[in-house]
Amino acid sequence: MALKWRHLFALLAVFGLFTATACGSDGGGGVSGGYKIGLVTDTGKVDDKSFNQSAWEGAEKGAADIPASATATYIETEESKDYGNNIQLFLDDGAKIIVTVGFGLGEATIEAAKANPDVMFIGVDQWQNEALPNLAGLMFPEANAGFMAGALAGMLTETNIVGAVLGTDLVPPVVFFKEGWENGARYTNPGVETISTYHPGGLDVAFGDPEWGATTSRQALDQGADVIFGAGGATGNGALIEVAGEAGALCVGVDQDQWFTVPEAHPCLVTSAMKLIDVGVSELIAQAYAGTMEGGNYFGEVGLAPFHDFDGVVTSEMRATLEEVMAGLEDGSINPMP
Amino acid sequence: MKTHQRRLLWIAATLLIVLIWTFYSANGPQTTAVLAGTVRAATLLALGAMCGMIGERSGVVNIGIEGQFLMSAFFAFTVTSITGSLFMGAMAGIATGLTMGWMLAAMAVGLKVDQIIAGTVLNIGALGLTSFFYDRSRSLGVSKYTNIDLGALADLPLVGTVFFSRPPITYLTMALLVIVHIALFRSVWGMRTRAIGEHPGAADTVGIDVLRLRYLNVTLAGGFAGLGGSYLALEAVGTFSRAMSGGRGFLALAVMIFGRRNPFGAYAAALFFGFTTALQNHFQLNSVFDIPPQFVGMLPFVVTIIVVALSGLMGSMRDPAALGQTYEKG
Repeated sequence: MALKWRHLFALLAVFGLFTATACGSDGGGGVSGGYKIGLVTDTGKVDDKSFNQSAWEGAEKGAADIPASATATYIETEESKDYGNNIQLFLDDGAKIIVTVGFGLGEATIEAAKANPDVMFIGVDQWQNEALPNLAGLMFPEANAGFMAGALAGMLTETNIVGAVLGTDLVPPVVFFKEGWENGARYTNPGVETISTYHPGGLDVAFGDPEWGATTSRQALDQGADVIFGAGGATGNGALIEVAGEAGALCVGVDQDQWFTVPEAHPCLVTSAMKLIDVGVSELIAQAYAGTMEGGNYFGEVGLAPFHDFDGVVTSEMRATLEEVMAGLEDGSINPMP
Repeated sequence: MKTHQRRLLWIAATLLIVLIWTFYSANGPQTTAVLAGTVRAATLLALGAMCGMIGERSGVVNIGIEGQFLMSAFFAFTVTSITGSLFMGAMAGIATGLTMGWMLAAMAVGLKVDQIIAGTVLNIGALGLTSFFYDRSRSLGVSKYTNIDLGALADLPLVGTVFFSRPPITYLTMALLVIVHIALFRSVWGMRTRAIGEHPGAADTVGIDVLRLRYLNVTLAGGFAGLGGSYLALEAVGTFSRAMSGGRGFLALAVMIFGRRNPFGAYAAALFFGFTTALQNHFQLNSVFDIPPQFVGMLPFVVTIIVVALSGLMGSMRDPAALGQTYEKG
């Protein structure tokens, strides 16, 4: 069958062409040896430009700061049933510190920490009910970050409608962001209408669906919202980019300063509700290496990203109000989630 | 179509228009927002369904649409990012879709690999390659396709915003629906295509080159998925992210079956799926019901199961007879 062979060769040639023309590779693997740090992502990806990416940057920085030669590697979870297996892969490889990223990995991380008392675990967004000596849960007061962003949005909106396009309510930090955002908007603008949506899918898709994010964002704009908060990995990024195409509308990013991670959103990105995950992870890695890490919950910092191009839009009065809000959240006189 | 079916269709359409009009007079902006969201979510599904339909009408199952979307979106994004031209990117997306279609044809028609396996190869290959080569520091560099108003039509209430103020690939998709419908049911090519999907042996005896036409059609169909990929990266989202097709390639197959493998039926089905998404968002945005979003999220699938099961029971839905079978010239 000479014809069949010809088909086969042609196929292989095209496949090769695809591989060759797609340019720029970035594998996450490092060469084994030395002090090993492993990071397991949730079903989001390390290049999601927000949550997982921030944790991975923290792990890389943590590895670089350790005096001994340390390598950080990551595994991306494809399906939620693989959490335990992925952690086990790092344990088998002899990793000394394992970072698990996301609420979903909570149980698998606790199990692994109990079974491997010599390995230090860092669980991002994982609340610890009982403190294990070798497991630190890195928590953030997301509601505060959401509240500050919402407070700004409440002052910026002209239509008196602010929208939020969110990952899933199955993940508590997303809910905290949302509640904080809505309450913050009402704090500075009691007459504001808040319209918010969660992705209807499960954990496996909720943070990786930019098309839904964009469509939903457009629907909120069509209903009159003029400031939109996109919080949910690639899903949220889709929402931000959609707002960028609407003249006069503003958007607010999440987790990282998304000015640097989602340049497509520059026309609308006024700020981002940041969780300093990278800072928290690298600090905990340093502590774990030095043997000073304490089990239980460790609280990281949150804040608003710089206003970049919108520096002139945010007036000094607004800044003063934000200062007040920030102080109020700090001393507890403002409750972001009453 | 039988007379009573036609009558049923007219009644349903009238009811729908009355319903929409009632909602529109009750709350204009919200009704417009929901319907605009509906049309928007339907575009990608319609393109995927046309891709699947041309293949299946010729007897080749294509479950690789998801992979075709993803790979095309990747190249559309990358080429736009390099050249700074959305048009070049869209062309690259279509070219990628054609190439992926050709690969499916080479495997399923040329090498006579099982069609399901061939499609799966495309899906896995696309996910792997795009994930590996995606460079997160790359951005589109230009803003995505924006709405083009069709003159005075765009100023009409409701329909103006919903149908006549749309970005270019959406218009193109609507035009393609008409073209494909005419081509499938009114042209020599369409008749031959349907013949090789129903009875390739008979088609062969009257001189139609079955393998060649299947090759051509599956490749051509890939172009539709390629346009879908361009739509995803350049019009719907405005960037690329890994696995961004999110299962819509598979949903498109459901839409195709639901729409009885004809373009208008598929578009109606796609609009229906789009509507459930938009409605679900609407409920949440305006806190209409306090039920979990996941519950409303499964609505389209529940309705699909019911509709497909019902048509199955009534015997009104039939696959092309030679679907999924390789043809061996006898």
